[in-house]
Amino acid sequence: MAEDTRLSAVEYIDRFFDELREEVRSNPRLAARLVKALGGNVVFEDEDKADVANPYVLAASGAKSRFYSVYGGMKPAEIKKVLKQNNLATSIDMNGKSAAQLVDMLFERASGKVLERKSSIF
Amino acid sequence: MPASKAAIANLKGGVGKSTTTVMLADGLAYFYGMTVLVVDLDPQANSSQMLLTERGVQAASDQGKGAHHLLAEFVAGRPASAAPFIMPNAVTLEELRVAEEQDARQGWISILPSHPQLRLAELSLEEEWYGRSGTPTTLSKALADYYKTAFDPLLALYDVILIDCPPHLSPLARAGLSISDNFVLPTIADSVSTWGTKQFSDWVGKFIAPDLPSRNFVLVTRYRDTKYAREVVTQLREIYLKDRWFGPNIPESVQILNAMDRPAPDSYNSFRGKYGAVKGDVRRLAERFTDFLSHRTGETWQKIRD
Repeated sequence: MAEDTRLSAVEYIDRFFDELREEVRSNPRLAARLVKALGGNVVFEDEDKADVANPYVLAASGAKSRFYSVYGGMKPAEIKKVLKQNNLATSIDMNGKSAAQLVDMLFERASGKVLERKSSIF
Repeated sequence: MPASKAAIANLKGGVGKSTTTVMLADGLAYFYGMTVLVVDLDPQANSSQMLLTERGVQAASDQGKGAHHLLAEFVAGRPASAAPFIMPNAVTLEELRVAEEQDARQGWISILPSHPQLRLAELSLEEEWYGRSGTPTTLSKALADYYKTAFDPLLALYDVILIDCPPHLSPLARAGLSISDNFVLPTIADSVSTWGTKQFSDWVGKFIAPDLPSRNFVLVTRYRDTKYAREVVTQLREIYLKDRWFGPNIPESVQILNAMDRPAPDSYNSFRGKYGAVKGDVRRLAERFTDFLSHRTGETWQKIRD
């Protein structure tokens, strides 16, 4: 039982879940991690997907269409941010590329890295 | 149940194999009262040094204890028996020492220590073996058979045997991997270490354990909670080491460095004093590894301390 007698155990739990609920609403990355940990399928919404999606994980899933559905509609600046944050391209690499070319680069390089690092047996 | 043998291994160096070995030994002995044997096959002798101190490692060697003396028995063609070369007391925790003193043992750690001499002895053996047209593979196989015979009589005396393997594919390392039931793979959340896990999976999967994923316990060590590290751990869990058991991330910590530096061979510390701010991490490591062992063997262990 809780030590503080001013609240019941149920009220403590309610407060905990209220806080968690608020955090999940304002933090899409945490929301995605929790859903994944619970075995759920994360659906990326437009305003969150650049932050939440992991290009390596998406490339490794083998679902090229899903990869393009997540990154295909992004603006060049957003795709450049993803490429840079994931160490998949330098500013020089990205110079002068269109959005479509950047998404292709993201897919090819993320897939290439996964191939390099994944066991050839398992 | 006979002891489970777990190799603590990674072909890459500097990922925390010895620290993992010692934390596991302490955690299993302290929280579950297990009787643990540490087998240090790494000539760098770091886990031996962490448990016995440098002076203790040398004293053990002078008393005829150590993996290099066991290797000399193999070279001399004498019968395989590990028991005479084991230091029965490698305990550093006061709680374990006091319980033993009161004749109520609640967890214990012994060690077959290493010594830098081990690498020289191994090199000498390799030269002789290859000079007689032997190959690295036949030498590893002969060593593995010898070790299996040497350790089999001890399986009833211990709950867990932790084999600290060197970070390369020497004959000793291959023998240690070959006789193990399970594989603890410490790694670091960075790109070169991630690539190292591929080398480990490919090699062990091909030559030692085709069923590696179900026998593999992965531990991310020296973890710093950054966005980069979180991304790498996500990739390890979801892509490269999918379907393996994961322990808790072990933080990078000065406390851990201190915990691995025993002040003197006769120095003891409480569990709380030794691990301080990371005691919860060591507890979670022991809990998770015990879950892994239970899943693998069907045996269950009760916690005896909190």
